[in-house]
Amino acid sequence: MRRPTTITAGVIAAALALTGCAGSADSSGSSGDGSGAVSFVGPEDPAVFAPVIDAFEAAYPDITVDYTQVPFDTYATTLQQRLSAKDDTIDVFAVDQPNLAQIAAQGFLEDLSDLEDEAKAATSAAQFDINIYDGTMYALPVWNSTQMLFYNKDILDAAGIEAPSLNPDERWTWEQVAEAGAQAQAAGIESGLLLEQAEAYYQLQPLIESLGGGSGITGDDMLTADVTTDGWVEAMEWYGGTFESGLSPRGVGGFQTSAVFTDQKTAFFVGGPWDIGGFADADFAWGIAPHPSFDGGEAVTPTGSWSWGVNTASTNKDAARTFLEFVALDAAGNLASTETQTIIPANTEAAAEYLPKLEALGGDNSAGAADLITYEIENTAVARPVSIGYVQFESIINAAIADIRNGSDAMERLTQAQQQIEDAWSQLR
Amino acid sequence: MTVSAPRRSSVQRRSSQRHSGRRRPSTRRSVLFIGTTLLAAVAGIAFFAPLWWSFVNSLRPGSETFRYLNPLQWQTFFTLTPTLDNYTALLDTDLSRAILNSLIVSVVTVLAGLAVCATAAFGLSAFRFRGQGLLFSVVILTFLIPFDAIAIPLSDMFRDWNLQNTFVGLILPGIGNGMAIFLLRTFFLAIPEELVEAARLDGLGWWGVFTRIYLPLSRPALIGAGLMLFLFQWQAYVWPLLMGTDREHILGPVALSNLQGQFQVDYGVLFAASMVLVLIPLIIILSFQRYFIQSVTTSGMK
Repeated sequence: MRRPTTITAGVIAAALALTGCAGSADSSGSSGDGSGAVSFVGPEDPAVFAPVIDAFEAAYPDITVDYTQVPFDTYATTLQQRLSAKDDTIDVFAVDQPNLAQIAAQGFLEDLSDLEDEAKAATSAAQFDINIYDGTMYALPVWNSTQMLFYNKDILDAAGIEAPSLNPDERWTWEQVAEAGAQAQAAGIESGLLLEQAEAYYQLQPLIESLGGGSGITGDDMLTADVTTDGWVEAMEWYGGTFESGLSPRGVGGFQTSAVFTDQKTAFFVGGPWDIGGFADADFAWGIAPHPSFDGGEAVTPTGSWSWGVNTASTNKDAARTFLEFVALDAAGNLASTETQTIIPANTEAAAEYLPKLEALGGDNSAGAADLITYEIENTAVARPVSIGYVQFESIINAAIADIRNGSDAMERLTQAQQQIEDAWSQLR
Repeated sequence: MTVSAPRRSSVQRRSSQRHSGRRRPSTRRSVLFIGTTLLAAVAGIAFFAPLWWSFVNSLRPGSETFRYLNPLQWQTFFTLTPTLDNYTALLDTDLSRAILNSLIVSVVTVLAGLAVCATAAFGLSAFRFRGQGLLFSVVILTFLIPFDAIAIPLSDMFRDWNLQNTFVGLILPGIGNGMAIFLLRTFFLAIPEELVEAARLDGLGWWGVFTRIYLPLSRPALIGAGLMLFLFQWQAYVWPLLMGTDREHILGPVALSNLQGQFQVDYGVLFAASMVLVLIPLIIILSFQRYFIQSVTTSGMK
């Protein structure tokens, strides 16, 4: 009799002790800058945001920021569930820019229209527009991105290939890259070309748009799929062909691809500015060049990254907005958000200060990166379409890209994707 | 004669079988033996290879993870320059905190869960009452519905009760486990009624019957159910995310997933963390397996 009683008592005591540990972010509503605790949710390692949080807390001693990381893979779904339950333990959250319309349409993002003028002045046109849904601004851009062509200089030299120029006017075509890649393969390199996010719409959209294929979403309500245009089919046929011919390797996905470049197994690699930091320690000579376009096609580069917004269910909106404004509109604050992560600040002033540092990361290899990135963001960047159906669109298109990469017929697979998107969207219209 | 004749013939038949097929059964047996051994070896390797590959890669810098993958070579599964850097890098992450939290949550769930499930199973097996069948059907239904299917509405309720981001919120869903009740009830039903009757006649109350007869006799089932409750919490992923756990309440699988960054992934560190997370339940299961086997053998003797 004695033992079970002790166990039961122990369990109850433990439960009570644990209840004592319970606590949610305390919040208080006050005017002006606000005060109290702001809880911020994002998909990055806590170390990434530690500098910006420290800088903010030093500037606003009345406000503290508690950061919670949610794994990137499950970020969108976890956030969707918590926001729809009016979870007031989230004050500020990071918004993946193409998902903004869908999140805003559900009423999870606070209207920030009163900051429009300041936001417009602080960032590029593409980065400003991406936060507007249905005429209202719902978030502020924090990070930006672009893509460029990396090449292994040692490999190109050995194969007798002249490296591509850094000048955007002398931008290489995809056809040129494929030819040079094949030449490098003939000289003994495993593969010629690899795109970093080999199965992602973000990465492939510029190829399609370069051939005039459009974003894939049209209509006044941006709920009409259009992924079987000539540009789409031609771009995807070319892309599938690079794997068919062995120019690009199959079977490597996600962010494992940059290792293929550092292992010197590919001559060309299309990647983001974060790779400059990643390749800095490489023991071979490499270089950068503008993102390629198709022969006779338009020069198009990917853009977009993360914005931050305020949860409508937040009970500490003043302090939340103060934090958000500090990170997005204050150049020093925005710069602090990129201290440990190699990513372009969305704030123009912060970017101007940051890009030379980014360029220096790769030494001689990445010389000219700052000017190239600035040029691409201002001239060739095309954002992903703003649609409340983007989330479904992206997952269906990514699956189609993966299949085409693995040998599916482009026209057939895109027709199927078109139907799948229409079916998925029928509930949204 | 009539009796011995068939006997003789059967002996003859057996001996003739032995003579004519002396080689065949032994060859067949050895072929069968080699075949099953090979099959077992292949199955063993198939299960072991991914774990071993992860282990080897946890001893390699992340940049080398995929270097030896294509084509397969001996370096794919072995390394001559093992390093513990990935494991030391884990010290800078939330993983140790997360493992401690996971252990707290899992152990409390096992203790509280066994108390609840065993008493429920006792009620469903030792007593006869109206609606017992219906009640038991409901218990069975609870484990036929996947937890993930009810997690979202359940998390809404928990949020209303202010249980988000608390250990109680993490532990509660693991306590009432229909499968554990089902297992324990089935085991309890096998306990002879005579034992209970004798104990009752000797003046033992129902609580005494439960704690002095049912529980000691059911140690293997209790350990089995306990392991199930432990693993349910040890691999909990969706629930802690829905509960909005912060750094103080982070659990192992979430911390592991957090190591996978958006822009860069250090697979070496990721594999090292996976190894640590695999090792803990492995140690627990292996150490309890001994008691489990012991309990089975002793209960068999009784």
